[in-house]
Amino acid sequence: MHNMKKSVRRVFWLLALCFFLLLGYLGKLVITDRQEISSNAYNIRMRNDMEGIQRGDILDKNGELLATSVLQDDGSYEREYKRARMAAHVTGYSSVGKTGVEAAANFSLMSVHHELQQRIASMISGEDPKGNDVVLTIDMDIQSVAGNLLGNAKGAVVVMEPSTGRVLAMQAYPDFDPNKVEEQWENLTKNEDSPLVNRATQGLYPPGSTFKIVTALAAMEYVPNWQNFTVECKGESNFENKVIHCYNNKAHGTVDMHKAMEVSCNCYFATLAKEIGSKNMSDVMKRCGLEMDYDFDVAYSKSVMYLNKNATESELVETGIGQGKTSVSPLYMAMMISAVANDGMMMRPYMIDHVQYPNGSIGKNTVPEKLIQIGTAEEIALLQDMLIGVVENGTGQAAKVNGVTVAGKTGTAENATGNDHSWFVGYAPAENPRVAIAVVMEDIGDAKATPIAGKVLQVALEKTAE
Amino acid sequence: MFDLIIMLSRYVFVFLIGLYLWEAIVYIAYEQGGFLGSPYHAISVQRRLIVIMHLVAFLILSYNRETHLFAWQVLLFGAVSLAFLLVAVQLLDRFYYEGCPLIWTGMLFLIDVSLIMLQRLSPTSAQKQLLWFVVGLCGMLVLPYLLRLIPRFEIFEWAYIIVCYGLLLSTQIFGIEQYGSRNWLNIAGITFQPSELAKFLFVFYLASVFRKRVEWRSFLTTGILSAGVVMLLVLQKDLGAALIFFMTYMVMLYIATSNEILFFAGMGAASGAAMIAYRLFSHVRVRVAAWQNPWADIDHGGYQIVTALFAITTYGLLGSGLTKGMPNSIPVVESDCIFAAICEEFGVLFGAGVICIFIMLLYRGIRITLDCGRRYYSLLAVGIIVMLCFQAFVIIGGVIKFIPLTGVTLPLVSYGGTSVMVSLMMIGILQWVCVYCEQHSQIAEGGNADA
Repeated sequence: MHNMKKSVRRVFWLLALCFFLLLGYLGKLVITDRQEISSNAYNIRMRNDMEGIQRGDILDKNGELLATSVLQDDGSYEREYKRARMAAHVTGYSSVGKTGVEAAANFSLMSVHHELQQRIASMISGEDPKGNDVVLTIDMDIQSVAGNLLGNAKGAVVVMEPSTGRVLAMQAYPDFDPNKVEEQWENLTKNEDSPLVNRATQGLYPPGSTFKIVTALAAMEYVPNWQNFTVECKGESNFENKVIHCYNNKAHGTVDMHKAMEVSCNCYFATLAKEIGSKNMSDVMKRCGLEMDYDFDVAYSKSVMYLNKNATESELVETGIGQGKTSVSPLYMAMMISAVANDGMMMRPYMIDHVQYPNGSIGKNTVPEKLIQIGTAEEIALLQDMLIGVVENGTGQAAKVNGVTVAGKTGTAENATGNDHSWFVGYAPAENPRVAIAVVMEDIGDAKATPIAGKVLQVALEKTAE
Repeated sequence: MFDLIIMLSRYVFVFLIGLYLWEAIVYIAYEQGGFLGSPYHAISVQRRLIVIMHLVAFLILSYNRETHLFAWQVLLFGAVSLAFLLVAVQLLDRFYYEGCPLIWTGMLFLIDVSLIMLQRLSPTSAQKQLLWFVVGLCGMLVLPYLLRLIPRFEIFEWAYIIVCYGLLLSTQIFGIEQYGSRNWLNIAGITFQPSELAKFLFVFYLASVFRKRVEWRSFLTTGILSAGVVMLLVLQKDLGAALIFFMTYMVMLYIATSNEILFFAGMGAASGAAMIAYRLFSHVRVRVAAWQNPWADIDHGGYQIVTALFAITTYGLLGSGLTKGMPNSIPVVESDCIFAAICEEFGVLFGAGVICIFIMLLYRGIRITLDCGRRYYSLLAVGIIVMLCFQAFVIIGGVIKFIPLTGVTLPLVSYGGTSVMVSLMMIGILQWVCVYCEQHSQIAEGGNADA
């Protein structure tokens, strides 16, 4: 009988433990996982804008109003986007579903801070309680310049602060008017140009010559005498099952890496890629984050890399000059060039700076987060010199800004269905980078992106000098 | 204005359940020799708290926003169910003289939560549920007389297991399928779950066999017969019930033999069997996959668990306030997922309070087991309380994605006639054992004093 009592006690503790685990797990759910779970797109509690709550505003870095809730006659709220198309791919829309920051910050926008106080205040004032505001890292001045320069050319511009990963501008065309998504839904979804797709984050393009930055990094690590490695460029060179041409079949003569970068010599980098080898090349690409999830605030497409250690020579040399099946988003290229500017440290990109409560106090701040180191300090320093050379003496001269040293790399990606895509990635000032940029323009021909990048950089430098 | 009242009511509900649990501690402390307050006072406070909760909830539920009037149907139902609760307290005190008062108030609290939540979710279900509570209460009142009529009901051990098998097999032949499990019977338009009734018989059977010293022979027969029951349930896709039967068997075996090796060996064997079942049955794999990553398949397998998680997390610790959430978006919310609805509208703190009430019931049940001098009744009590509480664990754990979700009911709270009846009868038996042991130990003590 005594034994039995002991066993009964043990059984009690076993079951009590089960219940305590439930309590602990329930606590974890509601305290740590709450925001992640409840902001899922399938949660209809968040989809149906709650009655009697004013959705919070979306503001840019300077406090300019991008999206706000306007009271209708029937007591409901309609979302008004003050800058309409100019920030369409940033704010997204909140009507037929949600995209952009409207989706990413849904939880904050719909959460009422100090709800009880606000409810009492709202009884007196008659106004509904208001959700939290969201303040972005986007600077609408830079965003507008980028948008105007891009004009009606398909493509994207991403401007980033290299040391933190803050996105200062994110422009993509075709765009849409977020105020009219519901009316134009049919047209927007059927349009072949897919205006609802944010090309800056979801568009995947072959990186073209901008990818030579990665090839150079791989060579510095895996080709022992790369400093003395030269190629005699005759405008084209032969590889197994593949002939690589330089742009317009121009012969560059005997070039080393520095020179080859400046003139963007395909023959040099293709030969270099062969020297590096498939395995080493794909290792470095992985290290540069080509397959990485970086958890950006709004929907994005991961880059695609096909190269693996069993790749054929033609695949390898194509990859080395940014052609072939490798494809990247403009946002990724901005991250990559930012990493070069930031002495090799790639930062996680973000667009939501902080949450602001209606009483003006600041809620959650986004803290910059390091992602990966893409090369050693020495390698990056040498690479930076080459990229300065590109803008000073090479293909990137159109990106020059008065009084500031700009570093960067141009790119032209072959497009099977039309004119080439034009790329430029770069940063400035080269000595102490404050802004980095990636520009891509579809189906437009060579070198159109470079001058646009220069002008955007100039404005961005003025804005960040303050 | 009304929104503000609902917002404030969230604090009221959390305060009520908090105070309720505190009074339970006061009562238990007194028993253990400490003194935090009068235990009689504690119980009467608990009863008043239930009444207050009932009144607040039904006033909110009956208010009509458009007309600014109180709906008389809801108020009437509220009044009738309040009357039921008050009458139940009086009758139970009379019929079970010296039953454990904490178990009574715990039971009534859960019943009240059930009525409030069902009124919120679907008023017709609430009315049916109240009817079942009334029938269950009548059953509980008859129970002591019934047990007194049949002296030594432990001698029917074979009858119990045979009827138990009969019930489970009957669904195999005449059963109808509901909610993906073929474990319902339809007799004269009333559907019920035989596996719920089988629970009873199973505990009676095990207690009857284990009341004697456990020999190899009885160990083997009970083991094989219990394994058979569990396997039948797995075949009927009633995985939750299978788990509950298995745990009940293991716990009762362990208590009867006090043999840890046997317990762990049993657990090991069960893990092996579970692995085999995982390989063999697709319905087992579906449940496990939905548990491991419900987000991967939100539209199908993961839908129920994901919507339950949304309900639990969206409004946080204090909940949305009664009537302000969207619990009806959860599939089978009235029975399986009622805990998610409670967390959504009353808040997770209140949900945690409900879990604490189950811990309290478990503690009281175990107390009865320990205080009981007769081995058979001890085993009966522990079997019943373990079954009841483990069932609560299985369904709450399932709903919050702690373990795979299986379709069992939350005892006393979920909608379902059979479940309510069986849960009430189980508590009736538990209290009957409590009363029996109290009286007999007094007699024994009295006898000693005489000698």
